[in-house]
Amino acid sequence: MAQGEILAGFLAPHPPHLVYGENPPQNEPRSQGGWEPLRWAYERARASLEAMRPDVLLVHSPHWITLVGHHFLGVRRLTGKSVDPIFPNLFRYEFGLDVDVELAEACFEEGRKAGLVTKMMRNPNFRVDYGTITTLHMIRPQWDIPVVGISANNTPYYLNTKEGLAEMDLLGKATREAIRKTGRRAVLLASNTLSHWHFHEEPAIPEDMSKEHPQTMEGYQWDMRMIELWRKGRMAESFRLLPQFIEESFAEVKSGAFTWMHAAMGYPEIPAELYGYGTVIGTGNAVMEWNLQNRGLSRIDGGGASVSRSYGGARPHLVD
Amino acid sequence: MPIVSAFLVPGSPLPRLKPEVLPWGRLATAMQRAGRALEASRPDAVLMYSTQWYAVLDELWLTRKRSEGLHVDANWYEYGDLPYDIHADIELGHACVAASARAGVHARGVNYDHFPLDTGTIVACDMLRIGTPERPLALASNNLYHDAATSEKLGAVALRCADELGKRVAVVAVGDLSGSQFREEIDLSSDRIGRVEDDRWNQRILRLIESGDVAQLRQVVPQYVQEAKVDMGFKHLYWLLGALKGRFAGARVHGYGPVYGCGAAVVEFIL
Repeated sequence: MAQGEILAGFLAPHPPHLVYGENPPQNEPRSQGGWEPLRWAYERARASLEAMRPDVLLVHSPHWITLVGHHFLGVRRLTGKSVDPIFPNLFRYEFGLDVDVELAEACFEEGRKAGLVTKMMRNPNFRVDYGTITTLHMIRPQWDIPVVGISANNTPYYLNTKEGLAEMDLLGKATREAIRKTGRRAVLLASNTLSHWHFHEEPAIPEDMSKEHPQTMEGYQWDMRMIELWRKGRMAESFRLLPQFIEESFAEVKSGAFTWMHAAMGYPEIPAELYGYGTVIGTGNAVMEWNLQNRGLSRIDGGGASVSRSYGGARPHLVD
Repeated sequence: MPIVSAFLVPGSPLPRLKPEVLPWGRLATAMQRAGRALEASRPDAVLMYSTQWYAVLDELWLTRKRSEGLHVDANWYEYGDLPYDIHADIELGHACVAASARAGVHARGVNYDHFPLDTGTIVACDMLRIGTPERPLALASNNLYHDAATSEKLGAVALRCADELGKRVAVVAVGDLSGSQFREEIDLSSDRIGRVEDDRWNQRILRLIESGDVAQLRQVVPQYVQEAKVDMGFKHLYWLLGALKGRFAGARVHGYGPVYGCGAAVVEFIL
């Protein structure tokens, strides 16, 4: 079996507006464009993904909310029409995705071994959430790479941010181990918006960009502060600030995808590539990539020979 | 007054999907009993609010004449599918959209094929036998940013619309009581209210509802909401109070019990 690798992790937000603005054939509503800087950012991310040719995309979505544990899609092929419950006027999308069930089951097993409650979703009629679908469309509209879909357990909201993100840290480490054991070449997708203050009324023409702007100055400033740290590779510092960022900007990273992704990657202190930033109904969205392959960090060695750190700790340390 | 009956019912799918689990089966039986009472009240339409239909930007009202499909709950998918065929009173739905705006709440109608109706709505329709051509719905969403007062105002808006259209209506509020859900897998036969304190709170609130003492109810509900993590701040009760013009004579509790640690009750209001 090939050695498992995590090639890269992307911050890949899921506003359905981006699909709407693009007018792909799968989406029923038609637009006059809109949100171009973010859509162009995704074009650059798509090119990077194409060059990596991964075996699988793993996506953690805040819109598959689960109450008892962390769930994984476990049906080989899922199809349907996804209508966004909040923006049904913008997103009515015919999807079909292939699931890497073997890797999903490995994540399930490793999560369980790590002490998490995990479940496999085996119902073939299950409706995949629009966050998962939007992120996957924006990063790979060809839909030709198998997927592992992971739910967002609501612990960060039900209990508190610290305990919730500690679970996501464990989930990320379990995901890493599952990728190692199955020998996959994987790319991780954190389907999260940054600052999440938003408008309360939609403009009459949703794609009227003269109406688009950050909802709050504080949210925008927090986004810039975090993006700047990520561009410089100051990840440990950014994780120290993460709870405050979440609290003060209502950031969607609270739901855990960002922490899951970085835990799986071993919290690398490497700079991210910012492909673009923009707001969608006032929320802050960045498309960014942490490329491990280019830095020779993608191979996952056995026996814990990796960067290891727990959420909430200080600087990462290397263990061999 | 156009209201002919009113009910508070749980939104969990577990009584519908697994009635063989004793406490869930009791709730299912209670729902069926409430459904018979609702049917006997012979409404022209049903005004309904579900805590699980989340809205963010506007207040949403169902304006699709017929919604058909197969729903799978995001959490309890292993217990089976929920087929649905739900009819809406679109005249009343459109009236509610317009009247919400006049009341200062931005609102929109929802009329899309495959729109993801929520679990609570689907379960309530199935078990109470509403959302049928004989008993179509005027269905309201739960805007997550609305407070209790706004929810109550919207319940009153819905009633006024029914009154203006000369319709006799039943009112159904769909939502749970205490919210201490178990976080791990449990032996289903041992399901219970998650915390003893929650159980005490739920029973106190149900006794107050039975007494019809709305003033006292209003006084204690904020503390109940805070201490028992009540589903969506008990906005479903406020919406129902709005539709009932803030008063009812008493209530019959057809059933009360746990749904995976949360509190659930089937209540029929005496008007």
